Amino acid sequence: MGLAVECNALVKDFGDVRALDGLSFQVKNGEIYGLIGPNGAGKTTALRIVSTLLLPTSGSVEVFGQDVVDDASEIRRVISYLPEEAGAYKNLSGYEYLQFMAKFTTEDKEVIKESVDVAARISGLEERLKDKVKTYSKGMKRRLLVARALMTKPKLAVLDEPTSGLDVLHSVHVRGLVKQYVENQGVTVLLSSHNMLEVEHLCDRVALINKGKIVAEGSPAELKKNVNASNLEEVFAKVVGFV
Amino acid sequence: MFKGLFNIIVKEVKELVRDPKILLGMIIVPLIMFPLMGFAIQTSMEIAEESMRSISIAVMDLDKGPVAENLTNFLIALNVIIVEVDYLNFTEAVNYVQQSNVTGLVVIPSGFSNNITEGLKAELDVYTVFRGGGIVESTSSSVISALFETFEEGLVVQKIGEKFPEAPENVLDPVEMSEKSIIKGKPVNVNPGVLFGLMMLQSTGMPVGIMMLLIFAMQLAATSVASEKEEKTLETLLTLPINRFTILAGKLTGSIVVAVIGAVAYIVGFNYYMSSFMGVMPTEIGVDLATIGLAPTPISYLLLGVSLFVSLLSALALAISISIFAEDVRGAQALVGPLSMLLVFPMIIMMFTDVYALPFPLMIVLLAIPFTHPMLASKVAFTGDYLTAVIGIAYVSIFTILVLYIAARLFGTEKILTAKLKLRKLRFRKLKK
Repeated sequence: MGLAVECNALVKDFGDVRALDGLSFQVKNGEIYGLIGPNGAGKTTALRIVSTLLLPTSGSVEVFGQDVVDDASEIRRVISYLPEEAGAYKNLSGYEYLQFMAKFTTEDKEVIKESVDVAARISGLEERLKDKVKTYSKGMKRRLLVARALMTKPKLAVLDEPTSGLDVLHSVHVRGLVKQYVENQGVTVLLSSHNMLEVEHLCDRVALINKGKIVAEGSPAELKKNVNASNLEEVFAKVVGFV
Repeated sequence: MFKGLFNIIVKEVKELVRDPKILLGMIIVPLIMFPLMGFAIQTSMEIAEESMRSISIAVMDLDKGPVAENLTNFLIALNVIIVEVDYLNFTEAVNYVQQSNVTGLVVIPSGFSNNITEGLKAELDVYTVFRGGGIVESTSSSVISALFETFEEGLVVQKIGEKFPEAPENVLDPVEMSEKSIIKGKPVNVNPGVLFGLMMLQSTGMPVGIMMLLIFAMQLAATSVASEKEEKTLETLLTLPINRFTILAGKLTGSIVVAVIGAVAYIVGFNYYMSSFMGVMPTEIGVDLATIGLAPTPISYLLLGVSLFVSLLSALALAISISIFAEDVRGAQALVGPLSMLLVFPMIIMMFTDVYALPFPLMIVLLAIPFTHPMLASKVAFTGDYLTAVIGIAYVSIFTILVLYIAARLFGTEKILTAKLKLRKLRFRKLKK
């Protein structure tokens, strides 16, 4: 099994603030890998670097063997990034938004239509896709955005807090979608969350991040076993010495 | 390189045109507000004209002499409705005039005719009723003044005619002056007043139009980038398989398209507004502009078009470069707002004077502002100075390339996500010192 993401000794500074401090991890093809940690741990910064939005201060990141600095254009062809606080163009309808996004990956009208149909199914928005995005609730908008991120069958989906702002039912729906989509399409997912219980159910492997560093890594079961904890929250608290 | 450009342009235009604030401010307001204002003014003017046609004057003739009678007949001949109030005393006459719809009161004192006949100064009291002001009353007052001045001129001609019976007008206007112009080194049989009127229209209309177009475009471009940040769509856009310069080009083109629509709406609305109260604009000045070398040639149109286009691009690139530092639409508009001074400053100066007539340092400052050059290019038809227009285009093109390069660099790096002006922080630091 090859590597989808290989991150080595990654450092990112914003002025005097060090957001990432020697972060290293690997994501295998076809797995769901989660970066988990509290707010400000560096999860979003790491995902933004993987998604070619930010440049590393030092260290390296490769996505399917291509460097995020030198081969950013090639990487953008195979990834799909869902930011935590993403929005959609409020004056476009849901359909128009999905079509706009799909047109960047292909010029084939049939493929565009197929992608939009997939997104319509994933989002479950049906007739509401004809309405302008500004009329959507927060949950509807998030479902639209998750659908957008997955509809083009990217080789790597980078999802930053995919269930951010969703209520319990919608969170369960989105988690189910991601899991099902990875199984059916063979997509690799790198996601972040501060909801450790959610990640436990969704991810094959996770890395616990604190203050820009990985403090523990493994499958949820391994991590719990290693520190004799009943859930990932407890694992995290024990690893960072909170309890 | 430009794969996906059309997709972005279509999105930009849809987003901007469907934005209620932009739709209202740029298209609906000029197309509805200006015509409404024009309609209101036109209606007022029609009422004023109507009131002028039916002007009525109360006449208190205490003289009863031949000149007084001539005056009354003169007014009647000009369709003025005369109300004789000789039977009233002055106070009663004033009360009558105030309470009726009469426009004014003329008191012809005893001895009026005799004084004029004897060559002495005769007095005449003309009252206009003030009922609260407004255009109609002001116009009526002017009409009454004009009526009596015309009558007085007639008396002067009559008096002069007694001494110079052949042609009394020659005494009043002894020199026949023929006013002509020199255009581009050639004498032309055209009154300079007509030309200056024409130039005035051009020198105010074109700079205002150009200024409006550029301000619209800058605000749109700034809004376009800032709303991506505000609506949190920028990050997603930047991770799509599309060249960053294509995103920039899409935003520039989308803003140009909507700005042109807005400018056309503005010009259409403004023209309607102007024509509604200015009557027939001096387009029919009886002068063939082509024969005197003032008609715009295809070359002058081309130069103006190119100058306008490069200036538009530079304004947009400048607005985008600056708006990158804003976190939201309001911030972007606040940052771009001061740029409009670069448009207003040359516009105001060029409305009143020629750039090259300014003191040298001010001229250099004005010529250094890129937006001066399309306004200069708009005068090419009148000056024939193609070289100045070409140099201006070259200068603005270099400026545009420089600003586009900066904008593209900012778009191509993480600065577009991380750059922000920390004004509050700077102010705090300064205070601490």
